[in-house]
Amino acid sequence: MRTKVTRSSPETALLRVLDALAQELIEASDEEIQEIAQALRMDLTMPESAAWAGVTYFARPRLDEFFDVDPHKKLPEGH
Amino acid sequence: MPQIPPLVDKRVLRPAQTALALELVSRMDLLRLKSIARMYARGLPPEVAWEDMLQEALTRVLVGSRQKPEDVTMVAFVAGILRSLRADYWRRAVKTNDAVRIDHESDDALALILSDPAPGPEQALDARQELHAIKRLFAPDPTARQIINGLAQGLSAEQIRVATGLSKTDYDSARKRMRRALLREGLTCEPK
Repeated sequence: MRTKVTRSSPETALLRVLDALAQELIEASDEEIQEIAQALRMDLTMPESAAWAGVTYFARPRLDEFFDVDPHKKLPEGH
Repeated sequence: MPQIPPLVDKRVLRPAQTALALELVSRMDLLRLKSIARMYARGLPPEVAWEDMLQEALTRVLVGSRQKPEDVTMVAFVAGILRSLRADYWRRAVKTNDAVRIDHESDDALALILSDPAPGPEQALDARQELHAIKRLFAPDPTARQIINGLAQGLSAEQIRVATGLSKTDYDSARKRMRRALLREGLTCEPK
């Protein structure tokens, strides 16, 4: 009997891999995380550590860091 | 004039900080979730940022729109929300594949939206590229790449072990190396 071969879509295959890898990350121990952070020279006690980028502060540069884009300043008096 | 806070006010806590302050998650949990969010943002359109997905998932926990079952850890629960957010963004990306056909021969300008539920070639290409990018993460580790190939085919751990001839110890060691590689990638703040 021939082996049944099923071709899955790339997205299905990707999702299967992502789910499995997410599970690995869920199971990662605190020690493993600290060890990797140390290897990357990240000081987790520092709030500005790159490890916290995107978590406790914005990882991406934002427009308002470079330009005055506060729309409220443009509102006329009384608004 | 009423005082309206600026768009980015450092005094306003981000959802991750609030979840931490409320002890819903630990600092290490946040780093786990950061890595998971970066993982689930793979293959999505470039305008979908992993950090927005992470903050959105934590917001849903904070506002109580998603209730955590008692037997599930908070990290696993938030990871589930991230997965669901990914599915939402994916569906939206697929919907933009709708083709519009205009019947020029008719007097009435008739536009038909042809909705195709299947992913378009762009999504398929993105997914394929991301799979390759994930394999590149484990480039120096042929065993890890074999495991990834098995996972992509939907094989269980036991089936992968049988197919690759790996002992349980070798398989577990490979998984540990993979976790380290994933964390190395996950803790950085480089673009996805």
